[in-house]
Amino acid sequence: MKNIQKTLLVAAAVLAASTSMASAAKLTLYCSAQEDWCQSMARGFEEATGIDVNMTRKSSGETFAQVKAESSNPKGDVWWGGTGDPHLQAAEEDLTEPYVTGMRGELNDWAISQATSAGDRTIGIYSGALGYGYNADLLKANNLPEPKCWKDLTKPEYKGHVQMANPNSSGTAYTTLATMVQLFGEDGGFDFMKALHKNINQYTKSGSAPIKAAGRGENTIGIVFMHDAVKQAVSGFPIKVVAPCEGTGYEIGSMSIIKGSRNLDEAKKFYDWALTAVAQTRALEVKAYQVPSNKGAETSPSAPDLSSIKLIDYDFKKYGSSAERKRLLKKWDDEVSTLPQ
Amino acid sequence: MQAIAETKTGSAHPTLLLWLVVGWAGFFILPWYGVEDSVFTFGWLFEGYPLDDDVAPGFFQGISGKKGWLLPHLIFLIGPIFALNRPRSDPLHAKILIICGALGFGWLIAQGFSIGIRGWNFGWQENLFGPLGDRQFGMGTGAMLVASAFLFILTQGVAARGAVNGDIFVVGAIGFVITIVAIFVFYPIFNMLTSAFVTQDNSYSISVFFEKFTDRRLWGLGCLQGGRCGAAWNSLVLAILVGMTTTVLGLAFALVVTRTGFRFKRGLRALTVLPIITPPFVIGLAIILLFGLSGNVTRFVADIIGIAPTRWVYGMPGVLIAQILAFTPIAFLVLIGVVEGVSPSMEEAAQTLRANRWETFRTVSLPLMRPGLANAFLLGFIESMADFGNPLVLGGNFDVLSTEIFFAIVGAQYDQGRAAVLALVLLAFTLGAFWAQRFWLGKKSYTTMTGKGDSGVHPLLPKGLAIPVYAIVGIWTVFTITIYTMIVYGSFVELWGVRNDLTFKHYITAFSIDFTQEGVRKYTGSAWDSFWTTLQIAAISAPLTAAVGLVTAYLLTRQNFAGKNSFEFGTMLSFAIPGTVIGVSYILAFNVPPLEITGTGVILVVSFIFRNMPVGVRAGIASMSQLDKSLDESSLTLGANSWQTFLNVILPLLKPAILAALVYSFVRAMTAISAVIFLVSAEYNMATSYIIGRVENNDYGLAIAYSTSLIIVMLAAVGLLQLLVGRTNIGRRHSRPSSKN
Amino acid sequence: MLNKNSKAASVSFHNVSKVYGNPTTGVRAVDDVSINIEAGTLVTLLGPSGCGKTTTLRMIAGLEMPTNGKVMIGDMDVTNLPATDRDVSMVFQSYALFPHMSVLENVSYGLKFSGFKKSEIQDRALAGLNLVGLEGYGDRLPSELSGGQQQRVAVARALVLEPQVLLFDEPLSNLDAKLRRQVREEIREIQQNLGLTVVYVTHDQEEALAVSDRIIVMNNAVIAQDGTPRDLYDAPANRFVADFIGEANILDCRIAAIEGGEAQVEIEGYSLKLPARDSHVGSALLGVRPNRIVVGNPGAANSLAGEVVRVTYVGNHLELTIKTVAGDLFATSDDVDALLESGTKVSVTFAKNAPVLLKN
Repeated sequence: MKNIQKTLLVAAAVLAASTSMASAAKLTLYCSAQEDWCQSMARGFEEATGIDVNMTRKSSGETFAQVKAESSNPKGDVWWGGTGDPHLQAAEEDLTEPYVTGMRGELNDWAISQATSAGDRTIGIYSGALGYGYNADLLKANNLPEPKCWKDLTKPEYKGHVQMANPNSSGTAYTTLATMVQLFGEDGGFDFMKALHKNINQYTKSGSAPIKAAGRGENTIGIVFMHDAVKQAVSGFPIKVVAPCEGTGYEIGSMSIIKGSRNLDEAKKFYDWALTAVAQTRALEVKAYQVPSNKGAETSPSAPDLSSIKLIDYDFKKYGSSAERKRLLKKWDDEVSTLPQ
Repeated sequence: MQAIAETKTGSAHPTLLLWLVVGWAGFFILPWYGVEDSVFTFGWLFEGYPLDDDVAPGFFQGISGKKGWLLPHLIFLIGPIFALNRPRSDPLHAKILIICGALGFGWLIAQGFSIGIRGWNFGWQENLFGPLGDRQFGMGTGAMLVASAFLFILTQGVAARGAVNGDIFVVGAIGFVITIVAIFVFYPIFNMLTSAFVTQDNSYSISVFFEKFTDRRLWGLGCLQGGRCGAAWNSLVLAILVGMTTTVLGLAFALVVTRTGFRFKRGLRALTVLPIITPPFVIGLAIILLFGLSGNVTRFVADIIGIAPTRWVYGMPGVLIAQILAFTPIAFLVLIGVVEGVSPSMEEAAQTLRANRWETFRTVSLPLMRPGLANAFLLGFIESMADFGNPLVLGGNFDVLSTEIFFAIVGAQYDQGRAAVLALVLLAFTLGAFWAQRFWLGKKSYTTMTGKGDSGVHPLLPKGLAIPVYAIVGIWTVFTITIYTMIVYGSFVELWGVRNDLTFKHYITAFSIDFTQEGVRKYTGSAWDSFWTTLQIAAISAPLTAAVGLVTAYLLTRQNFAGKNSFEFGTMLSFAIPGTVIGVSYILAFNVPPLEITGTGVILVVSFIFRNMPVGVRAGIASMSQLDKSLDESSLTLGANSWQTFLNVILPLLKPAILAALVYSFVRAMTAISAVIFLVSAEYNMATSYIIGRVENNDYGLAIAYSTSLIIVMLAAVGLLQLLVGRTNIGRRHSRPSSKN
Repeated sequence: MLNKNSKAASVSFHNVSKVYGNPTTGVRAVDDVSINIEAGTLVTLLGPSGCGKTTTLRMIAGLEMPTNGKVMIGDMDVTNLPATDRDVSMVFQSYALFPHMSVLENVSYGLKFSGFKKSEIQDRALAGLNLVGLEGYGDRLPSELSGGQQQRVAVARALVLEPQVLLFDEPLSNLDAKLRRQVREEIREIQQNLGLTVVYVTHDQEEALAVSDRIIVMNNAVIAQDGTPRDLYDAPANRFVADFIGEANILDCRIAAIEGGEAQVEIEGYSLKLPARDSHVGSALLGVRPNRIVVGNPGAANSLAGEVVRVTYVGNHLELTIKTVAGDLFATSDDVDALLESGTKVSVTFAKNAPVLLKN
């Protein structure tokens, strides 16, 4: 009797395996995070479910444009990662599918509020706060005091020691600009940017470049997302991470299901899986120190604790809109970047 | 191409029949549109073939009533049957083929451009015909076969009318080269031109162009008052400086090798090859590690002199140094040929006319090297304009066009229009330089090689010149050796500048291989994917590049046909176009039907072929013009056709040119970044773009280790190619009968 | 061995022109030329460089296509047939031996594309080498042969195809004088033995006279004269031919009367009766070969009075420059013992029927 049962079980398993083979479940993933993190998520999902993942990594801006271009014939299923603005915009333009996951109970509030503000068309998967890091060795070598606040960076002794990205080419730097405007008011914010401009030694192209330069000793202070600074510190560079005393802005990395997905079931499976603690813990393997949205996910001891950081009430809707964005960037271009240093 | 061979029999047309069958196969059997996986996996046979929209052949697409616009192809595929039983001399034979080929090809193109993913592509069509209610994707194997069938039917018609002595192979080859150059050089450039005028709501406007064109970030002159200058000025000044410096350095090298008693000429030559096979960024990284704020040299000097280290290297100085290091060898390779080519008897003549060594050099040797100097400058100028890696690593606040283009596309701006405008400016600069070079050289003759024996010897350099030349070469040599020592060292250091322990860690991370208990290998290293892809793409594109280049060279040197000059310009155009521009124009052109090849390996191969083809053409022309034309003619009169002649006579005698084209395109495919960075995808990632990712991630050790491995692989590959191509034994070279023409 | 060639065919041009560049304004290399070359003969195209002879040859080969007119080989109109498809082979000035193939491979090359079996290709190629006296050289590379041997390989390579027409483009110009004479005799012998139709291009008049059944002299893209070697030498049609073939003194003269095909010619008091050819009464040109000038004692009747200005002894004859009222004459004299020196007064007459009236 037992033998028969066993045989049947085996047969069922084989059958199940063969049917799943026949249907060749697959998923097309658009990924907007760093390459190795994207790879890790794709492989992890394949291992967990046996569903083939065809992953394409592009920046969030590019992915948004692609999703929009393909809207009449969607080729992608899930869009994972990347800062929240384009996800919100996609939701607004009805390019993504509403989905209420069963995983919400395990998530932080900020992740869910991201979802509700977009009519459940997107959800937060990680978040990161803005801040800066400095090279402790260089600071000491130049006999500079340790900065603690945003305003510290405008002091004349830091002249030529600060680096940030160019807001025109980097989302990180735009978040910085928007944060200052929200923190100090529009005039105060721009006064801060002008004062900071005098101390800047280089506006880099990419958002995380300033802290990498600091890590290598090519720059002293870099304004970046704190998790990027942490990554350098963990890699062994003499970087100290600072959460500025005035408070700071943040980004919410998001995930959406593309409207008209050809593999909707698999897409939902991925969506749910990506919100699990296990999946989010994978970030540590690739040195991604963003704060995971799943409360149960492991975080690195060296990662910044969001709860201990003074976060401003960042208005994603307003500052994510393209009109406001253009206006602020133009103002920065005209009033700040032209000033002599 | 072999199938284009023709026969001597009267009215049987095997070539025509072959292309007809190809066309029919394309129309009736193979999927018309691109299938998701490769056609060769034959997965499409099981996805509702032959009726499902995704995989149906053109005939079934059309007959099912939905895509009726595909049916007219059938008429032009049936038409040529009526030409089959007519002899070539029958004018109707030619007429049928020309009409069917031209109309078929034209229709295929027209429908491809008219109907896209969202139905009609142009507003006026919608107004004229009403909404379409259907759409189509990128062309697939079926459409490609039908297109080539139409093309070669057309060329056979043209040949039958007597063009180019009625040579089917030559007319076919001309048609083929024109078509691919039009598709992969002119179309993308033209397409990019138009996208510079597209507004946000997809209409065209000239003001958009001017708004972007007059941008202060492009033409600003703030640097004259302590601010920042526009990227256009920066690029221009940098490129001119690099062009001039590399030309002078290259000349110095060439003079040392040919006109001095220098004892280590071989070593010097070897040293100059290194930068050519070095992946991008590596030199930039090494310069940071030496001269950066925390660089070894900077710290050393700062300690000695006691001044605070500065970030002087970031910006123009750093980029300039890196580019000079990287591009001097190219100038050297151009100039060595020219310097050696100046006939010694002219210099000897000058000396017998009482000019001293310095006067001889100044009045005879140098002016005769003018074409070489102009070429070297042009190459340095273009390379600098197109260089992407060094400004990215070392640019600081010094914006140049190539990086601006990149960030206009991938950065937060995502402004394709701006990228197109910038690319146009860049293209205007390089074409301007091209034109200026031709103008400067004018119509003077600089030919000094007569083909007659020239037994003289080059005079030695005058002393006043030799000393500075030695000094320049010495400094460069020491600098280069230092840089490469740093590179090798850097690949073995744990964490540069922080933990200087020696380690194999980076090589292991990149290239580790695990053996499971069954002995199965698993390539677990992180670099393997991009490494294999790169090897594969380079290995595929190198022979194709050489083939296209040599066939083009053959047409240019050996055949006469109308429009040959424009043909030559077209094939050389891609040489003047910086890779960044190619990259941008390719994604703009090939991201949408009718040719949807972004994200595939095909686009990489194609971009390499057309980027590197001009070198194959040049090498081919150079060696083919040394082959007496009577060789081909005698082969023709002995009854071989032009294809057989090309295969049996020309190719075996062109092995040096083949080798040069193969090596060049292989190496460029391994090291190119400027176009590649736009065209890679997750599935087809290239080594260089992987390396740039590592650099961005501060993984210098890994980036350098990978680059070092690539250098070794390239050296090995070059050796292997040399073995594969082999040499043609022609006995004593000097006793080959020379032509008297 | 190769058999007497039954395939030898005639070649004819019917009003053929070849224009490079624009058909109306371009360079006319060959201008409205009609010729007929009979099967089994050796015909030479002779002329100075740039006269169109090589272009004419290449049009027979199919390496150039005529702009106008018709080219026939045998009974077949080949005007638009490319070289590959014509049954014609050619020996090039530079020989054009493929440097990367052995001698045997070179000779077999054309046979490979003619549909012969492998063994037959080998046999024929070896027979071809025997014919030109190069047995045993099959494995050498062309560069390992002397110039004369290379030339013979080129001939063998063309011969083995037994073409309807065999073309030679200045085949001897790369050989030294002695070898040139030997090879041209061999070529002539093979041509006659095998009954080949051969068209031969040269700018060397001596070579042309030696080998040809017929010579076609070309000048400025048109045919200047077409005839047997003897015709051309003894009765050049015009000044160009007279001057180009051999040496000729060309004198101004006057035709006083024409009667029954005989012209009464006057040169400064010296009167002659000569065949009129197509000339008219009035001033005319007279050509006379140097060896047909008879130098006599001064004061002879019906002669030209002259004075020797230069005498050069060149071994088997004397070369004389004689100043006369009709102009300076160049004469040769076999009488090397004659007592002539600069300043000797002489009278000059012409051998009977030696001078010819020329068209300008």
